[in-house]
Amino acid sequence: MDIKINKEDNKTFVVIDGRIDTTTVEEFQKAANTLMEDENPDIDIDCTALSYTSSQGLRTFLMLQKSVMKHGGKMVLRNMNPQVKEVFDITGFSNIITII
Amino acid sequence: MKKRFNPIKDKSSEIIEFVMSSPDIPDDDVLKFKLRLSIEEAVENVVRYAYDGGIGWLEADIHFDQNALLLTIELRDAGTPFNPLEKADPDVNLEIEEREVGGLGIFLCKKMMDSIEYRYEDGNNVLTMTKKVNS
Repeated sequence: MDIKINKEDNKTFVVIDGRIDTTTVEEFQKAANTLMEDENPDIDIDCTALSYTSSQGLRTFLMLQKSVMKHGGKMVLRNMNPQVKEVFDITGFSNIITII
Repeated sequence: MKKRFNPIKDKSSEIIEFVMSSPDIPDDDVLKFKLRLSIEEAVENVVRYAYDGGIGWLEADIHFDQNALLLTIELRDAGTPFNPLEKADPDVNLEIEEREVGGLGIFLCKKMMDSIEYRYEDGNNVLTMTKKVNS
């Protein structure tokens, strides 16, 4: 898995490429931690190349969403593949995280 | 195809790849996604919680019934007796403030596989998951 984070003006663009699983979740968690430090975050996560996430990845997305709300910001996940979207749907995460 | 891993500390990935390497798994990306997710969640449960410090074994077995077109994955360990199916499903309709950050793993297995059963046998936890494969 590869994560790229780019800050432009007041917006943060994130691109996730690969699988979030037992081997990569720690790296994803570290990247998420850096995103949790910002005040009024405006985060746009491109999931086009996110091929898989386990419950450990979901856990990190949830923590990130909670942090974004606490800091008065917003976050969107875009272009999820149907299988990853299904995982978000089944777990109800589609209702608490903005997916476009 | 059966293999025993011992010890299992930090071996989740190796165990998952062993099961996923079975020639009985059809080349179907959607099916493979569901199998991988179920296997990862079930294996992680054992690796993280079955033994103190991860010192213990896990046996993974995958086989395919060609008549029934049924894939069966069985995980066996000798850790603390624990039936993961007894745990209540998470409430997926809660607002974000109420959602907790755990308890999703076995729930996902239940949703992704056709059946999942637990039994305690000869001092072992045995988790059996099945998935019908389209011909």
